[in-house]
Amino acid sequence: MSEFAIRMKDLRKDFAVSHAGIASLKSLIVFWKKRNIVKLDVLKGVSIDVRKGECLAIIGKNGAGKSTLLSLLARIYKPTSGTMEVNGRVAPLLELGAGFHPDLTGIENVYFNGVILGLSREEIQRRLPSIVEFSELGDAVEAPVRTFSSGMMARLGFSIAVHVDADILIVDEVLAVGDQRFEKKCLQRVEEFRQNGGTILLVSHQLDTVEEFADRCIWLDQGVVRLEGNPADVISAYRAEG
Amino acid sequence: MLKELKELWAYRELLYVMVQRDMRIRYKNSALGVVWSFLNPLLQVFVMSFVFSTFLHIQVPNYTAYMLSAYLPFMFFQYCVLDSAQSILLQAALIKKIYFPREILPLATVIANFIHLLIGLVIFFGFLLFAYIRDPRVIPFQVTTIYLPVLLVILFMLALGISFIVSALNTFFEDVKYIVQVLLYLLMYMCPIIYFAEQVSNTKLNLDHGFILYKLYNLNPVAALCHGFRKILLAPVDVPVGKEVAGHMPTPWPYIGVAAITSFVILVYGYSLFNRLKWKFVERP
Repeated sequence: MSEFAIRMKDLRKDFAVSHAGIASLKSLIVFWKKRNIVKLDVLKGVSIDVRKGECLAIIGKNGAGKSTLLSLLARIYKPTSGTMEVNGRVAPLLELGAGFHPDLTGIENVYFNGVILGLSREEIQRRLPSIVEFSELGDAVEAPVRTFSSGMMARLGFSIAVHVDADILIVDEVLAVGDQRFEKKCLQRVEEFRQNGGTILLVSHQLDTVEEFADRCIWLDQGVVRLEGNPADVISAYRAEG
Repeated sequence: MLKELKELWAYRELLYVMVQRDMRIRYKNSALGVVWSFLNPLLQVFVMSFVFSTFLHIQVPNYTAYMLSAYLPFMFFQYCVLDSAQSILLQAALIKKIYFPREILPLATVIANFIHLLIGLVIFFGFLLFAYIRDPRVIPFQVTTIYLPVLLVILFMLALGISFIVSALNTFFEDVKYIVQVLLYLLMYMCPIIYFAEQVSNTKLNLDHGFILYKLYNLNPVAALCHGFRKILLAPVDVPVGKEVAGHMPTPWPYIGVAAITSFVILVYGYSLFNRLKWKFVERP
């Protein structure tokens, strides 16, 4: 087994962006000549290694390519070039509850989301009491999700994600779910996960959280790694830039 | 393609849950629930057979059953194509967040519709029994019904193949959905549903040109399958052509064989097209 959880080598990703949009055949035919599709280089050769059990934070301005990087990791996009090696099961915590269907009950959605994240139905059944307990929803899980508040939805989503036994947790600005007490509980859970040898990739604008949590920090700027190292150093350099 | 099939197998649990979810959502907020999935074809076929036998004076005993036997498979095909056209776009939020083999979306749609077809067939046999009680001359069950699984498999391959193509293309050009709606409407008249294949065979146009019309007609796999379903499920019947009566033809096995090959080719092509395009779903310009 490799000592690395994630190895990225010279990862590049560009998108074709059309300002008009070609959502219909008509516009494709009529505007064929002036389609003006612009190529947008989001990642311009990023090489990052993440060791097992490490908590790596990625910071950077909006549009620096952080989310694209995480999406590549979650296999939502294929890289334009470069290689990526992932050892272990990845649980993306990106925007919790993305797969919830409003007309289904909380429980039905737990099954659906759990299976997408790679659990079997049996495993979910065994963990169901624990998932419901962690979310603190009580009997409300029997109601359709459309009746949930956004906080309740986020809590249920987080609860499912931390119950999938992943090796690598991707945390994208999601710890701000619900009230302070629940947030603390989430952080505690993430900390527990780390102590058990899990790898964490954290993307956040909350620099204090990053400084407290991360072992190592990477500053992504316009698609390249600008600075890499000790969280305190990187963050102070990032702050100095403004 | 083997690699993709292997991955699909690894995600079979998700497919199961997806189908279950599809079936649950469909009638979640309706009082009659699953009743709609057979009330709809029954009502349509009752109206059509009433119009044909009463207004157009086409006298075929138990006309409703003959229509239903071909309309059920056609309706399955129609719903598969229409539903799967939307299947990717409806889940756009999900596929932007998380990875799973994208082909599960149209596949789940087709399987959910297939289950509805099976329920529909059960109702169909119930209807035959009812017709038998009312009029004992109508024999409710044919020995040839044992061929039903063969036809179902061919129909499933065809519907899945077309669904792959339509769902992949509609993600980039939403016109596809409207084009398909029109084509499906036309297709219904190109299949022996409200009329009989014997009537096609005995038209003057066909007889004057060495049966070329009938041959072309049967190259359409949906037409051949509808014809096949009717033949294996129901007793052969002589149908009126003008003032005369045309004798019934045997089950069109050669054309069903052609349909099987066509369906398989469409499925393989559809799946490879889908796999080629699926990575672009999330980053369409």
